[in-house]
Amino acid sequence: MKKSWETIRNYFPIFGFVIVVVFFSIATKGAILSGTSLQSLLNQAIATALVSIGSVFVFGCGCFDMSMGGTLCMTAVLGGYAGIASGSIFVMALACLATALVLSLLKGLFAAYVEVPLFIVTIVLGFVLSALVLVIMGTETTILLNDAVKPIPSFNFTQMSAINIVALAGFFIVCVILFNFTALGRKVKILGGNPVTARQTGLNSVNIKLISFIISGVGVALAALVALLRIRSVGSTYGADMGTDVMIALVLGGMPLTGGPRTRISAGIIGALTITVLNSGLSMLGLDLAIIQIFRAVIYLAVVYVASMTYRTNLLPR
Amino acid sequence: MNEDKLIIETRQLCKNFGPTIALNHVDLKIYRGQITGLIGENGSGKSTITSILAGMQPASSGEMFFKGKPHKPSTMIEGAALGIGMIVQEQGYVSGISIAQNIFLGEEGRFRRHGIISRSAMVKAAQEALNNIGCNDIDASWYIEQIDLQDRKLVELARVMASNPEVLVVDETTTALSQRGRSIIYDIMRRMRDEDKAVIFISHDLDELMEVCDRMVVLRDGNLITDLDKPEFEPNLIKRHMVGRDMGEKYYREDYDGTVSDEVVLDVDNVTSGSGLLINFSMQVHKGEILGIGGLSHCGMHELGKVVFGEEKILTGSVTHVPSGQKIRDARHAIKLGMGYVSKDRDHEALVLSASIRDNISSAGLDKINDGPFILPNKEKAYVNQQVQTLSIKCASINQNVQYLSGGNKQKVVFGKWIGRDCDILILDCPTRGVDVGVKAAMYALIDDMKRQGKTIIMISEELAELIGMADRLLILKDGSLAGEFQRSRQLTEHEIIECMI
Ligand SMILES: Nc1ncnc2c1ncn2[C@@H]1O[C@H](COP(=O)(O)OP(=O)(O)OP(=O)(O)O)[C@@H](O)[C@H]1O
Ligand SMILES: [Mg+2]
Repeated sequence: MKKSWETIRNYFPIFGFVIVVVFFSIATKGAILSGTSLQSLLNQAIATALVSIGSVFVFGCGCFDMSMGGTLCMTAVLGGYAGIASGSIFVMALACLATALVLSLLKGLFAAYVEVPLFIVTIVLGFVLSALVLVIMGTETTILLNDAVKPIPSFNFTQMSAINIVALAGFFIVCVILFNFTALGRKVKILGGNPVTARQTGLNSVNIKLISFIISGVGVALAALVALLRIRSVGSTYGADMGTDVMIALVLGGMPLTGGPRTRISAGIIGALTITVLNSGLSMLGLDLAIIQIFRAVIYLAVVYVASMTYRTNLLPR
Repeated sequence: MNEDKLIIETRQLCKNFGPTIALNHVDLKIYRGQITGLIGENGSGKSTITSILAGMQPASSGEMFFKGKPHKPSTMIEGAALGIGMIVQEQGYVSGISIAQNIFLGEEGRFRRHGIISRSAMVKAAQEALNNIGCNDIDASWYIEQIDLQDRKLVELARVMASNPEVLVVDETTTALSQRGRSIIYDIMRRMRDEDKAVIFISHDLDELMEVCDRMVVLRDGNLITDLDKPEFEPNLIKRHMVGRDMGEKYYREDYDGTVSDEVVLDVDNVTSGSGLLINFSMQVHKGEILGIGGLSHCGMHELGKVVFGEEKILTGSVTHVPSGQKIRDARHAIKLGMGYVSKDRDHEALVLSASIRDNISSAGLDKINDGPFILPNKEKAYVNQQVQTLSIKCASINQNVQYLSGGNKQKVVFGKWIGRDCDILILDCPTRGVDVGVKAAMYALIDDMKRQGKTIIMISEELAELIGMADRLLILKDGSLAGEFQRSRQLTEHEIIECMI
């Protein structure tokens, strides 16, 4: 019984995804799977997946990062400005990477050395970043790549799809290798599972956390770059929902937000797909934005509750 | 046996965990006015059957009777209310609250005065419960974290006894306790028996069981094998029933040669530990030496293990790894220098309970199963399987989470985690805690092997027999300082050592 239950539980995220897709296909009478909406769905899913896959490492080792949205927004904005100022995709990419890495390293240092709970630090950081974006952008609400000093090449649908796929597949594969076939993944799981044990086992928690944040920084940079190339603009509220989307994605993908041994890379990608379908499905149903937010909160709580319930009943004292 | 005295009976009781059969049609009888010992190898179903009786988990099938009536408690609280109190093998307290709150967990209502809970009344009652079992030195108003592992067990005992049970279950508790803790538990058990109540006592210490129990029930792989009365107690017979075959005679080391090389590998110089439990303590440990460390509760021996491994802050003095000349800074540094440490508090410090056997064992040997930056799954599997076999860890597969293992099997995982690493200096704090005799013998053989390979072992233990049986040299601590030192010898007796401890 127990064994089969565990195996079944591994498939929950996929069942969840299928159920969500089927439900919204019926509810929107197939509209959600039609050409244009499928295309926009995939575009959103790619950004969420890139950020979520990187976050798997961060949440996995027990770091509760609530500032993914702010980090993504700041990265896209600074990347966009760099692109406009230079007219070069290369400089834009470099600026994205630099911004995301600096912010992630900052968070990593906090996580490694400061005793204040990280979720508090990152909530504050999220607010600070949003405010800074507004300061930087001044009176503008959106910046357009078309204002660049030299024209930045634009890509057609096929080219854009190729870029998306290369970015996502490449990052996914690298992360799978890092997580499953190097010591890093094992260390992340032990550190998230029991920090005292990790220390007594000689694991270097500072390094593990910093590397995890660096990986998540790369994911954010890729997400920002891909989005810039596709939308060719960025607004001051870009990525506002990303923070919560990532957390819901990881939970829907089957890993606890407290990290530990049940951490898995697949949680990032499956969860990102599910939450994206959920988000677009809800908005296609024409629901009010406030209702959608409430709905998301309910789903989030339900999934966390179910996950923690199975966890508790399994921990009989003996 | 007089069937009037029958208090608990199970008929054809079964319990499965997926493919694992933990209990196989067990007919167990427990009588009043007796201490019944329950013995069996690790994973034989002892904790499972007693926890079902106490209401912690349901049986898969079968019936239970308590005082002649069908018995099917659905929670531990219900079991306790009916009169079955259990001291569990693993953590049985709630962290972050006071001792008094732990003792009256779920019964806070008793202390309600004018709508609010009277803290002072609760502390007073809790202190009475503690005094009642002879623990006057534990202050009920303290937080549970302020006392050590042994005293936490005694708090559990006070909690169970406060509800005046008719049946007391003590599950594999004594090996974590020092002499004092043990005698408190023995006294309570005898008191229960004299009051015509019943006691079920689970332990792997055969001598202890033979002394304390009036009757012994042997389990093997979930089957009830036999039921022996005091006159039938005979160690080899009992062991044969436990393992199903004759066991080798070899147990501890057979040689009495306590000479070791002059080469010092560890130099503990005038250390006072942050917790204040170790005061101006110095010792030297040699290459190829098994150094035993013993003492009463609060003597500082567990802190000494942590101090040497760099896991505890030191206020003065230093610990030097002599071959490299380096002072040990922290656990990571110690491991780099070839050290390893088996903590006494396995659930909180040594294991990640929700991780698999594989992840736990490989975590200390990641640099042994790699090829460049990559971990080789096959190498990892072989590495882990090696430990599972050597220590006969009873599990469904190496991917099983350690939280589902029996207590003794968890301990084997911790031991295996460090044995696999091939450390030069191994610090073992109660390494055989809760482990059955067969595997204990295997562990002793491994320790002896390591010594022969020139490795150094520091063995901290509550079990004097084990210290006498294994150590080249035995240090006895008292109030944080050295109280005595004994060389290995055939003549060394427990009596001599206890004299020195008190
Ligand atoms: N929650 C669980 N899930 C899966 N298997 C379990 C669970 N609890 C116990 N088992 C299995 O049932 C068997 C009996 O376990 P039990 O804890 O009763 O052993 P035990 O006799 O108390 O051993 P020990 O001496 O090591 O404490 C073991 O094989 C154990 O792995
Ligand atoms: Mg047990």
